[in-house]
Amino acid sequence: MELPPSSISDAAPVRAGIPRILLAAERVTVEYPGVRALDAVSLDFRAGEIHAVVGENGAGKSTLMKVLSGAVRPTSGLVRVEGAARAFARPLDAIRAGVAMVHQELNLVPALDVAENISLGREPARGLGLLVDRRRQAARAKELLGLLGSGLDVSRAARDLSVAEAQFVEIAKCLASEAKVLIFDEPTAVLGEREADRLLGLLRRLRDEGRAVVFISHHLDEVAAVADRVSVLRDGRLVQSFARGLDEPLRDATGAAVDEARIASAMVGRELGSIYPEKGAAVADAPAIELIGFGARGRSRGVSIAVRPGEIVGIAGLVGSGRTETAEAIVGLREAEGVLRIGGREARFAGPSAAMAAGVAYASEDRKGRGLHVTLSSVANTTLPSLGRHVSLLGLRIDARSEAAATARWVREFAIRCARPELPISSLSGGNQQKFVLARWLEAAPRVLIVDEPTRGVDVGAKGEIYRIIAALARGGLACVVISSELPELIGLAHRVVVMRGGTVAGELPREKLGCADCEERIVRLASGLDEEGRAA
Amino acid sequence: MSAAGRMASVQRFLERWGVLLAFALLFGASAWRQGGDFVSPDNLRTMLNSNAAIGVLAVGMTLVIVSAGIDLSVGSMVVLAAALGTTAMNGMIGAGWSEGASVALGACVTLGAGLAAGSVNGSLVVFGRIAPFIATLGGLAAYRSMALAIADAGEIRSQSSTLFSKLGRGGIPLGWERAGADGEMAYGGLLNAAGKPLTLTYSIIIFLAVAVVAQWVLSMSRFGRHLVAVGANETAARYAGIAVGWVRFRAYALMGLLAGLAGLMQSSRMNSVSTSGLGLSNELDAIAAVVIGGTSLRGGFGRVWGTVVGVLILGMITNILTISNVSPYWQGAVKGAVIVLAVLVQRGSRD
Repeated sequence: MELPPSSISDAAPVRAGIPRILLAAERVTVEYPGVRALDAVSLDFRAGEIHAVVGENGAGKSTLMKVLSGAVRPTSGLVRVEGAARAFARPLDAIRAGVAMVHQELNLVPALDVAENISLGREPARGLGLLVDRRRQAARAKELLGLLGSGLDVSRAARDLSVAEAQFVEIAKCLASEAKVLIFDEPTAVLGEREADRLLGLLRRLRDEGRAVVFISHHLDEVAAVADRVSVLRDGRLVQSFARGLDEPLRDATGAAVDEARIASAMVGRELGSIYPEKGAAVADAPAIELIGFGARGRSRGVSIAVRPGEIVGIAGLVGSGRTETAEAIVGLREAEGVLRIGGREARFAGPSAAMAAGVAYASEDRKGRGLHVTLSSVANTTLPSLGRHVSLLGLRIDARSEAAATARWVREFAIRCARPELPISSLSGGNQQKFVLARWLEAAPRVLIVDEPTRGVDVGAKGEIYRIIAALARGGLACVVISSELPELIGLAHRVVVMRGGTVAGELPREKLGCADCEERIVRLASGLDEEGRAA
Repeated sequence: MSAAGRMASVQRFLERWGVLLAFALLFGASAWRQGGDFVSPDNLRTMLNSNAAIGVLAVGMTLVIVSAGIDLSVGSMVVLAAALGTTAMNGMIGAGWSEGASVALGACVTLGAGLAAGSVNGSLVVFGRIAPFIATLGGLAAYRSMALAIADAGEIRSQSSTLFSKLGRGGIPLGWERAGADGEMAYGGLLNAAGKPLTLTYSIIIFLAVAVVAQWVLSMSRFGRHLVAVGANETAARYAGIAVGWVRFRAYALMGLLAGLAGLMQSSRMNSVSTSGLGLSNELDAIAAVVIGGTSLRGGFGRVWGTVVGVLILGMITNILTISNVSPYWQGAVKGAVIVLAVLVQRGSRD
């Protein structure tokens, strides 16, 4: 059921009269061999409005954004910029027309400084255009960052920036190109809670300056918080739109108020129950893994955590709090210090394969860069860490049948949508890829599983399935450590949550406290340097 | 299917089978140009034989490139290994050792020297953390210079009277000869232009055996899977528990061993080592064959059979140009064009 553009306008908010339509998609259809990624989608994006586009993985959000930003040409339909039909042949055309995309993967030149990155391709010239006017370059960069409310030092090299800082520079770059429409693709996916809040504030600021902001996110709480309009895509079609007036909740076409659950059910096309499974109990008293004053040299120290079989321990903390580094030190990817005990015995691993031999597996947060080999097949990905189980003749022969059987088992067990496991795993949706990240480590039959951001970039439906998998594994006696920036996920899944800050443990919330209404705030306070009650620690 | 979809599937087809198509076209063109002479077993054998050493290098290069590396030093490893091996052999013959033992030990020295040079490359890349291009560029200069120094830039002639060159030129006859009742010799099976039995040279046998084993290793073995994983994404491979350094080291060491083997094949065929000429620019031919064969220079994907076809394509181009009386100075330009064309055709969706 597709809505004609007019009915969307009916539900549109009134913010300073009738807002100007800066960018519009008209009956845009994109066909790939065998798939219709977008089916006659019509949407408009207006000045002074944050328009969120949501949908499950594979619903067509990314394709739509690629069309709008000139990376993909539609099979039929057209894109209008301020009323004029435009055929973007490449992203540069879109940028020239004032439509800029802030990519999930940041595109800064590491060796250049902030000011140089911001003016890249548009350097202010002096000396007959032969030299770059460094002073004007820096002043312009400062001015643009100032607009964003950032006081970042413009002489810092891009390679030294944190992800959040780099994102600000990326946005400043878009402003430098005088973009009227800014498209944000999952901008908070790589940020911690506090940086994410700051970014949402920035989106509002850009809106209030009269720009059109397009916001794509899996985080429905963020969507509900900032979006003036929400369009829901499902299977390549626009299925529903919600809009709000000033300081009002989102409403549907009938005027009924809309909450996150309502958006989520529009995305999946059915009502969702609680996505968190019931918590089991620890199955043994002796810890499977124990850290005592443990740390990753130079990154974290004094971390003491014990996890028993059957237990799920959550680790919260801002980006840069040393969570990932500590996990990497456990499996030997970084130099470790302090004591690590596995099954009561002291251990120190030279690398992931040694850790695996002792039953400890670490699934990286960075699915595309570290967690999987995106160009290899689903089969090869599943068996890579445990290939030794599928070989004969001293490793000279890989048993293809045993590999295929192992892959098929996980596909069944985790309900992975993967018709042809021999194809590159990049052909799967993010949620299904994430299930393979878990599968490849479970194939190695660990006793301790450390998962870092297990649902990053994964849609609501797949999230619930991943939670059920982790809970079921724990009930089966696995000791689980879940590192996550999504607090509801930690609270819903873990038996207790350890909060890290500045490379060490700032506090811990036991199971009883995780039921409290304010436990999210408690975690945030601990993560940002206060005590649980909000006093400076 | 839309026009764009059709284009994409044509692209995919060319990407996968383009190298065979090119081979078939060239083969057809050669046969048409030269008539029956080209497709005669004699000529085909000669072509295979003269490209066997390059083929061995190209097969090894395939594995290195799959691991996202490169080895520019193969030609220099060939000459250094051959120079050391031949010198050692001559020394043993001079000291009164039997010819058999001298040739055998000399061959071992050649292979060992190749393995050692390859291990040095591997160590520089893995432990020294030097980019493969730079590390092996150093090898390209250094190994050749060592060979030149050994022989004062001259030629090292083999002192073996027959055995060494038999290794290079001999082989298994594909036909037979029998004395008939009247004392006349009768020949059967595959015969050469002179009507004598055709020999499948050891060089060809070695080339094909190396290729078959390497294809097996690449697609069926754990080492091969690890090479692909390291080449596709080294960081992800490290996170998956693969000993990345050891995998890469072995690729370079193996390349060195195969360079030693190629050095043995070439020096025994010539029965001498020209320290200024042997192996010269072999690295370019080897890399060209790999690229034509469809292996990705970025690593993470490769196929040995493609490389073998690539070697044959290069061989056929030389063959057809020579027969057509094209100046050898122009042959490089044609080869260069073919290499660039191969990359253009195969680029496609992996970009």
